[in-house]
Amino acid sequence: MNKVPQNKDEVLRYLGYRNQILDKVTNDLIEELMDEMRSLIKVRYIYKFFNIMREEDKIYLSNTNFCLTGEDIKNHLDKSEVCALMAVTLGNSVDAKIRYYEKISMTKAVILDACATTAIEELCDILCEELKEAVQKENKTLTSRYSPGYGDLPIDIQKKFLTMLSAEKSIGLTASSNSILIPRKSVTAIVGVVEWENNSIKKASCLDCNKYSNCMYRKGDGRCGN
Amino acid sequence: MVDVEIKEKLKEGILIFDGAMGTMLQDSGLKLGELPEILNITDSKVIIGIHKSYIKAGANIITTNTFGANEIKLKNSNFSVEKIIHSAVKNAKIATENKEAYVALDIGPIGELLEPMGTLTFDEAYNIFKRQVIQGVKSGVDLILIETMTDLYEAKAAVLAAKENSDLPVFCTMSFEADKRTFTGCNATSMVMVLEGLGVDALGVNCSLGPKEIEPIINEILNISKVPVMVQPNAGLPNIINGDTIFNILPEEFALYGAKFKEKGLKVIGGCCGTTDRHIESLVKALKDVEIKYNKYSPLSCVCTSTKSVIIDQVKVIGERINPTGKKIFKEALKNGNLDYILGEAIAQVDAGAHILDVNVGLPEINEEETMVKVIKEIQSILDVPLQIDSTNPKAIEMGLRYYNGKAIVNSVNGENKVLESILPIVKKYGAAVVGLTLDDRGIPSSGEERFRIAEKIVKTAEKYGIDRKDIYIDCLTLTAAAQQEDVKETLKALSLVKEKLNVKTVLGVSNISFGLPNRDILNRTFLAASLFAGLDLPIINPLNKEMMNTIAASKVLWNEDKGAKEYLKHNENVSKEQEIAAKDTNDIQYDLFKVILKGMREEAKIVTVKLLECKEPLEVVNEYIIPALDVVGEKYEKGHIFLPQLIQSAETVKNSFQVIKDKLRKGTNDDISKGKIVLATVKGDIHDIGKNIVKVLLENYNYEIIDLGKDVSKEKIVEAAIKNNVKLIGLSALMTTTVKNMEETICELKKIKPDCIVMVGGAVLNEEYANMIQADYYAKDANESVTIARKVLG
Repeated sequence: MNKVPQNKDEVLRYLGYRNQILDKVTNDLIEELMDEMRSLIKVRYIYKFFNIMREEDKIYLSNTNFCLTGEDIKNHLDKSEVCALMAVTLGNSVDAKIRYYEKISMTKAVILDACATTAIEELCDILCEELKEAVQKENKTLTSRYSPGYGDLPIDIQKKFLTMLSAEKSIGLTASSNSILIPRKSVTAIVGVVEWENNSIKKASCLDCNKYSNCMYRKGDGRCGN
Repeated sequence: MVDVEIKEKLKEGILIFDGAMGTMLQDSGLKLGELPEILNITDSKVIIGIHKSYIKAGANIITTNTFGANEIKLKNSNFSVEKIIHSAVKNAKIATENKEAYVALDIGPIGELLEPMGTLTFDEAYNIFKRQVIQGVKSGVDLILIETMTDLYEAKAAVLAAKENSDLPVFCTMSFEADKRTFTGCNATSMVMVLEGLGVDALGVNCSLGPKEIEPIINEILNISKVPVMVQPNAGLPNIINGDTIFNILPEEFALYGAKFKEKGLKVIGGCCGTTDRHIESLVKALKDVEIKYNKYSPLSCVCTSTKSVIIDQVKVIGERINPTGKKIFKEALKNGNLDYILGEAIAQVDAGAHILDVNVGLPEINEEETMVKVIKEIQSILDVPLQIDSTNPKAIEMGLRYYNGKAIVNSVNGENKVLESILPIVKKYGAAVVGLTLDDRGIPSSGEERFRIAEKIVKTAEKYGIDRKDIYIDCLTLTAAAQQEDVKETLKALSLVKEKLNVKTVLGVSNISFGLPNRDILNRTFLAASLFAGLDLPIINPLNKEMMNTIAASKVLWNEDKGAKEYLKHNENVSKEQEIAAKDTNDIQYDLFKVILKGMREEAKIVTVKLLECKEPLEVVNEYIIPALDVVGEKYEKGHIFLPQLIQSAETVKNSFQVIKDKLRKGTNDDISKGKIVLATVKGDIHDIGKNIVKVLLENYNYEIIDLGKDVSKEKIVEAAIKNNVKLIGLSALMTTTVKNMEETICELKKIKPDCIVMVGGAVLNEEYANMIQADYYAKDANESVTIARKVLG
């Protein structure tokens, strides 16, 4: 997790870039703000593995009172006996700087926002790679990430999710009364541990997404999420 | 009286707290996700047992099992805050029966972050803590421990709640990382300044780190804290093994650190995560043979925000521009609640090198108290510069101080008894620094000696109220050379006297000196230099005036403050760079506004517009250049020829151009170019507002007047703004499925109360169909489309 986020293509994709002419001013600005993002973020993360217990329609994590409801997470963890809860945050400084730029330059605000969004996703990928390596010893791998608020997994489990990881104390991550993660550039997600052969089954598909008809990211070749 | 006892003990000896509650509970089988506070009721024996083991180990103070006993964390628990706290205190009291141990009401963070980082307001936080404090007092605790705070603003709300609703001793600790900052960026010096100012009885550090890593932070705190210092470290850094958190430091090692801390002068020691009764037992033993040392406290003149402290050990600049006096645009901005203008002034001053900003919002036709709070909150949401609250209205000062995050300066009191009596108690209560003007009911004395005598009186009176000398800044007042030439020297004389005999910091606004004379700059600069040599610490100036800033930079070299002229050299490096850039700009300038907008050349826009206005009327520029260019940009975006940052860059270029045009309009005929008002808001519960802000920039370019209500806005506020401003078009934004409900309710309310209004909506989760479902009139798929809609509705 000590790698530095640097995926400029993703930043461009978040900004709605579809091979237009990238003028020098805009390009320089993106480079500059990627640097600034890297200097502002303070990456903290935490994860924990849990055994999965199934009861009727619900999924429980063993030794906890945490319950995951909905069809989608059930399907997602269908082939898993164990899952990991993970939380990653970039800290408050980048939020504060975006707020600042919104007052003096929306262009910078929008670009910095995209840089931070890219960074948090990239860092989640890096963490997942590390977790994959950890489970590889047992000849296993991981499903894609699934987050509160995806599909029919309610977003209001967010606070409870954070409690499972003592995320407030350990990485300073909280959720608002409306389940918005604060600091804003943070991700919580569940990944299932699966046998190698089940590896490919759970790729997220745009067809499952409620933004399918009007997503600005889908129109190109890129896809959001994993 | 127990509280007096505790305070006495703090003076003469050392107090030992217990160790962790959570660690002990996990050892006895608490399931993850269960609230440990509920065990106070469902398994009180376990709790009493833990308390008893700590008392047996030798703790003088045990902490109630109420860390998370607030209404937010207990929300879905079926237990009230009152019931949990009452049971917890009862358990602790049972354990302390016939023993010599005090009971501390434990208060941890709420679990949600306060504005501007999060959504909880300061008042909400205060009320949450208040409820805990009131019940704690009722149930009979001996003191209040506020701990593991990471946000200084939240800690302030908790301390105020404790002080205003009890007479008990209040201890407060925050939790730092190894870089000496909390998760939210608070530094140790800021913590000391604020907590000490609020009058806590002990302050310090707990959790997050082990004793070894905490030591450097403690050293910093011991140097500057007048208040007894406390520490509750973890049993080392957490190690995660198989998903379980393990702490490695054994009781004996923990105790060794404890002894070291006592030698350094710590007054309160206990344990946090991972520590057990055995740690405390070892600690008690180890501390017995250590003699108490008194820490070497050196008073520090310092003001701060939670993330930045400005130490007044050298000349520091106070920016004077947030003040409506004599400024028409500023007055208008205040009246219309246009905070963006004021924020612009704040940002410009900080960029120019101001260390502290004076905030004055006194206008007869506005509510100064409300405006003061609003302006302070807005500045603090984007800048970390400390503020000086400038008002003659005690209520406005108090409101400002209450909601300010950090330690502020109050500007000002003077030698009048009435003023001293009304303002000093507020300064003391909120732990601010205060400016004392050397005038009284007789006016400003001519002679330096007399001004010094008033200063002396102010200092003595302030000290009587418990305000330290380090927090008193004396202003010897500048008189105009044109009217009272012979008194100019007296100001300098008074300055020297105050500096020499009272040993306080000094502050002075200098630009008054030149009033009524030509070439004011040279008089201002000369007087500024003279004042600096007479001992001025805090000049109040316009930092955008480069010459004044140069004078300060030069004086600091000559006065041997800027060692090796380091700052001066750096300052001059920047100056030559700026000149280079300025020269370049005028050389290859593009003189076609249309192209300037298309290319998004923000900096050029102003110069080109000024040039155009030499031969065209403002409205011609708008209609012949700006609007056609904007339309082309919009079309290019629509067709996918340019992408979002380019669209916004062009929009902001236009914004710069409009600034020039509006200035001209203000000066000349009263041509109104506004095409109508639009209310914009991100609905209740949602705080994603970057999209809404993009919409705002674009709409403003087409000369719609935007009433921006911000984010997390209730339907009542939106309706009120729509009615008050008689607005026809309202734009609402929501980014979460869960908050679209609030959007729907807002639309329903709007249609009911103001049936003629039209609502457009936008945001990630919406689409045309969804927008129809919630009765919106228009769905804007992106910011660009909001312009098309506004043109349809308002023309």
